[in-house]
Amino acid sequence: MQRRLTSSLAAFLLVPCCLVAAPREASVGEVGRRICGISDLGSGGWAGFDTFGKIVPLGTMRLEGDGNKGVGTSFLPFFQRLADSAWSTGLHESRYAYDLIESVHVWTLCLFFGLTVMFDLRLLGWTMRKVPVSEVARRLLPWTIVGFVIMVMSGALLFSAIPLRSYQNIFFRAKMLMLLLAGLNVWIFHSGVYRRVEKWDLAGVPPRAARVAGALSLVLWIFIVLSGRMIAYNWFDCDRQPQRAIVNLLTSCVPNGSDH
Amino acid sequence: MSLLAFFQWCEESSIGGVIRGSSWLFPVIEAIHLLGLGLIGGAVLVVDLRLLGLGLRRQSVAQVARDAQPWLIGSLTLMITTGSLLFMSEAVKCYYHSAFWLKMASLLLAIVFTLTVHRKVTIADETRVSPVWNKVVALVSILLWSGVGIGGRWIGFS
Repeated sequence: MQRRLTSSLAAFLLVPCCLVAAPREASVGEVGRRICGISDLGSGGWAGFDTFGKIVPLGTMRLEGDGNKGVGTSFLPFFQRLADSAWSTGLHESRYAYDLIESVHVWTLCLFFGLTVMFDLRLLGWTMRKVPVSEVARRLLPWTIVGFVIMVMSGALLFSAIPLRSYQNIFFRAKMLMLLLAGLNVWIFHSGVYRRVEKWDLAGVPPRAARVAGALSLVLWIFIVLSGRMIAYNWFDCDRQPQRAIVNLLTSCVPNGSDH
Repeated sequence: MSLLAFFQWCEESSIGGVIRGSSWLFPVIEAIHLLGLGLIGGAVLVVDLRLLGLGLRRQSVAQVARDAQPWLIGSLTLMITTGSLLFMSEAVKCYYHSAFWLKMASLLLAIVFTLTVHRKVTIADETRVSPVWNKVVALVSILLWSGVGIGGRWIGFS
């Protein structure tokens, strides 16, 4: 049971992460021409993103030039289509839906992150020292799985409301990458030291491998929350040029008119 | 000094000004505030789930509450510190925002409730507290703390 939950958790984590690590065989020029063909607002760029989901006209992105630029460009047309869909614009422009979903996402942070942290702290020997580790795992981890599923679903809805901008957001990409690492950490922990838990179940301070897993989990989830919060800020957005070349590469941005 | 004048004074304070003047201070403090929210959520839920008979059932309520208490106090301190800084940077906006007042009312009730009724139930001899009463207290606690969190999120919406 525990293993099935772990592997489904890992699979859940892998899906969004594949988006970031996507191949980039499509030519940006081709992508750009297609997108510009759909809706080209010219110098306005594609910004129009608003952090709190208020009603703002969604602009469009403009890509020009040839060759591969940036990481994961091949998914841009897909997210552009998603952004143009009635679903996406409806959610984005809704008066309450977006805010409500975001509230659910934040509330569930307490359930998921809070209880995950409690388990990590037990692995570090910083709390509940007299409670067997397997007992904490059995009683708390099912709640973190419930929390995680709600987080992924509400997060996917939030993403679908602002897909292109989110996809090209450097904090979003960092978050997805760290989610992958956190999933790997879960897998390594459950298939490694946790299999021998009966040997150290009652230890106030668990063995080193378990403490490392707890510390890694703690650090990764903290940075996942931090980067999640930072997605709202546009410091590194495509429409804020000039940016460092490395930023444009990592966000697969092609600045307006940079090839002319 | 009226309440509004006090809020204006907060907003005009040098701390408020420094936070407003920086492009990254507010986001960073806010992100730490969010981490505190997660932590306080964990510390509250561990105890309240136990009271509901859903969490660490083999441990006594008193033991779970004792284990969680330092984290509850620590995260509450972090929340109030970062929250006050955020408040000082936009106090007047808060004054006119109903979500802020919902949050403050929930916070006051949550703290009072936690220190009185909730505390009494968690340190009491379990055989003498009816399970129904435990569950009611847990639900009220979750409701009040949720009001604080969600009220806080809605300060950001207009």
